[in-house]
Amino acid sequence: MYGWRGKRIRFNLTKGTWDVEETPYEYRRKWLGGRGYNSEVLYNSVGPDVDPLSPENVVCLGVGPMSGTFGPSTGRVTVTAKSPLTGGFGDSNMGGHWGAELKFAGYEQIILEGKAPKPSYIWIDDDKIEIRDASHIWGKYPRDADAIIKEELGDKDIHIVTIGPAGENLVRFACTFNDCYRAAGRTGHGAVIGSKNIKAIAVRGTGGVKIANPEEYFKICSEWRETMRTDPMAQGLLNYGSLILIMPCNYEMGWFPWKNLKYGYHPDARNISGEVWSKKHLRHKEGCFSCAICCGIVSEIREGKYKGEYTGGPEYEAAVPTGPRVGIIDSETTLHNAVLTNNFGMDAIEAGAAISWAMECWEKGYLTAKDTGGLELTWGNAEVVDKLLRMMTYREGFGDILAEGPWRASQKLGIGEDCLVVTRGMSLPGDDPRGLGFGYGLSFAVGTRGGCDHLRSLCCLELSGYLYPGLNKKIVGTEECSKPLVTAGKPKMVYWEENQKAFVDSLQVCCFNTHWSYGCRNEHLVPMLNAVTGLDFTEDELMTIGERIYNLERAYWAKMLSGKYEDTVPRRFTHEPMPENPAASSGKVLPLDEMLPEYYKLREYDPETGFPGEKKLKELGLEDVAEELKPYRKKYIELHKGKKGGKKKK
Amino acid sequence: MEQTKFIMINPEKCSGCRTCEMACSLYNEKECSPSLSRIRVVRNEAIGDSFPVGCALCSKPVCVEVCPTGANSIDPELGTGLINEEICVGCKACVRACPFGAAGISYRTGKAYKCNLCGGDPMCVKHCPTKCLEYAPLELTVRHRRRALADDVIAKLKGEG
Ligand code: SF4
Ligand code: SF4
Ligand code: SF4
Repeated sequence: MYGWRGKRIRFNLTKGTWDVEETPYEYRRKWLGGRGYNSEVLYNSVGPDVDPLSPENVVCLGVGPMSGTFGPSTGRVTVTAKSPLTGGFGDSNMGGHWGAELKFAGYEQIILEGKAPKPSYIWIDDDKIEIRDASHIWGKYPRDADAIIKEELGDKDIHIVTIGPAGENLVRFACTFNDCYRAAGRTGHGAVIGSKNIKAIAVRGTGGVKIANPEEYFKICSEWRETMRTDPMAQGLLNYGSLILIMPCNYEMGWFPWKNLKYGYHPDARNISGEVWSKKHLRHKEGCFSCAICCGIVSEIREGKYKGEYTGGPEYEAAVPTGPRVGIIDSETTLHNAVLTNNFGMDAIEAGAAISWAMECWEKGYLTAKDTGGLELTWGNAEVVDKLLRMMTYREGFGDILAEGPWRASQKLGIGEDCLVVTRGMSLPGDDPRGLGFGYGLSFAVGTRGGCDHLRSLCCLELSGYLYPGLNKKIVGTEECSKPLVTAGKPKMVYWEENQKAFVDSLQVCCFNTHWSYGCRNEHLVPMLNAVTGLDFTEDELMTIGERIYNLERAYWAKMLSGKYEDTVPRRFTHEPMPENPAASSGKVLPLDEMLPEYYKLREYDPETGFPGEKKLKELGLEDVAEELKPYRKKYIELHKGKKGGKKKK
Repeated sequence: MEQTKFIMINPEKCSGCRTCEMACSLYNEKECSPSLSRIRVVRNEAIGDSFPVGCALCSKPVCVEVCPTGANSIDPELGTGLINEEICVGCKACVRACPFGAAGISYRTGKAYKCNLCGGDPMCVKHCPTKCLEYAPLELTVRHRRRALADDVIAKLKGEG
């Protein structure tokens, strides 16, 4: 077998046993790998009524046929579980070297079922597997746990997935790391892993991945790498990491997420730009496995009260949430907060979103010192942010409420929705569609893991597509749609990007190679996959696989009775014009309703429910799913009788 | 004077991505596996440091000296490592002797392998995204390193660093 190793390990943690299963050819061809495998397992094994933090939930970690090869940036791992944050479909994706190591050990996927009777970690040493005691590392920060396990197993070159204290304490947005800092941040599966009493998964693999046509593969990958050396987006990422975004985001386009995304601009944004950051804080570059770009960094604080602290990253989305989003604009404090979220093991986006939500509520008088136990939640109050990050992790006082995420917290406290920047239970990242682009806005509304979804479609055809002449024309049919703040062509753009991203995610290739910078496109990926596997995939088939995965994930939400009425974005973006600023976003709102109908048509969703259409599901080989959704369609229609479609009440 | 070319490592630039390992193993072994790569990257992800370790193409190679069968040699013309698989018995003496962990035994053939400079155009160097590896005459790589150091110190003295 070429490419795939063709095996996965299914753990029954309750019994302390495991099975190594073969994945048959048809299965591989239908779901490809990582994200596809995981979505299939979750859909078929965790029903709509399962409590995400109960032993009935499962966690899947998956890689793909190109993982662990010379293919550029093939280090990604998808982690999937029913999300404790949203209650719905949840997955997230991390880089690092663990995924390649899993492949070298001989597997594409790990499935965790049940709950270990006591704190444990898993040790996979090629075909030797063990569940070991983890009582001595319970409570440790990820990088400390990583070091202790390596010491204990006597090999510093193994690769380890870990959770932090936030995961152990069931913080609903706890995340998962590998190689200390590479986080699968979103949807909270760190808490699911914690609820299963698992602290870590250590892997050593000494085997390899067989390549069907080695010469061909070497040639295509080399060409791709060569392209990356001159690609403008890739070079920007190599030199400055994803913080390179700050300058255009603030000064040109105006979507700088200042104060809970109320504003899109701040005159001092430069302070945390990649350009300034690399001078002040860059300690070292840190690339993921076989990466052609190497955007990763390790940062350190060289002066001031946090001198000596260091951590992996932060990337744009790990820096801004506990920086500008909470009203902090200096890089030392921003980096200090990123150190904390990494140490505690929590999703920086949701953590920052929770605090900034609370700060906005404080400003508006919805929260007072009585609710917060005396904390003054004023914008930019660094001391309070530091305290709250700790209090959330250990679920103390007001932190215990914030550890539920802003959506649940606002319900618990009975506060209105006007400060919430949330869709389907999940906070949106630091990307404001009023400036970043209407395609992004649409993808936030319809993303299959909740509203976050800056990565579900990664609508870079509008962010960087203009750098690749003819690309938008070829894919969407018009160049016009590469302009961010127009609606024309956006539904098609989102539809295409979502399907493409679903198969790229299943190959576990990094989206910075295939979306952000379009140096590598389908016309390169298809021959690469064929050279690895020796099969005859076509672009159409891969896009169909993407569409299949997308529809299955959407069907998961449908069973949760989430459909058309939930396809929305926070009021902030649709009803509050972007405050006056010198950039392009000034005065803009997101015209979501102009785009949704066309998107629905392209997706062939039921117009009444927004559920995947029966005909489409059958076309995609998901006949069982089509059958299964029938009663849910009825229920959904019943539930929403008399309501008017798709729009939120003013 | 014709100078020996060799692979200079500039670890301050290395991102630890291990592209070099994959380029080596796919090119030479037609398979992707770090265990078959002649260059291996030592990573310390907790603090972000990485250091690629490869064959030094020693002037007085101990791997050659300890080889009991004469399978292990250095190509006199190209200066590249050479293993004669016909006569290698997989005794691992070369692996034990090499001070850098640069020689290994293939899990497929049971025979030794070491760096052969890919016939004069080393793939690890060619594909390294951060240009941390440099294949050039000895004197030139040394000059480059000296200049990089000087630039760095001067920048710091001027307060730009
Ligand atoms: S394998 Fe080791 S001992 Fe032999 S030439 Fe290379 S570095 Fe020197
Ligand atoms: S393993 Fe082969 S090359 Fe190495 S010392 Fe033994 S016989 Fe010589
Ligand atoms: S390819 Fe270059 S940057 Fe990557 S690990 Fe090897 S030497 Fe380091």
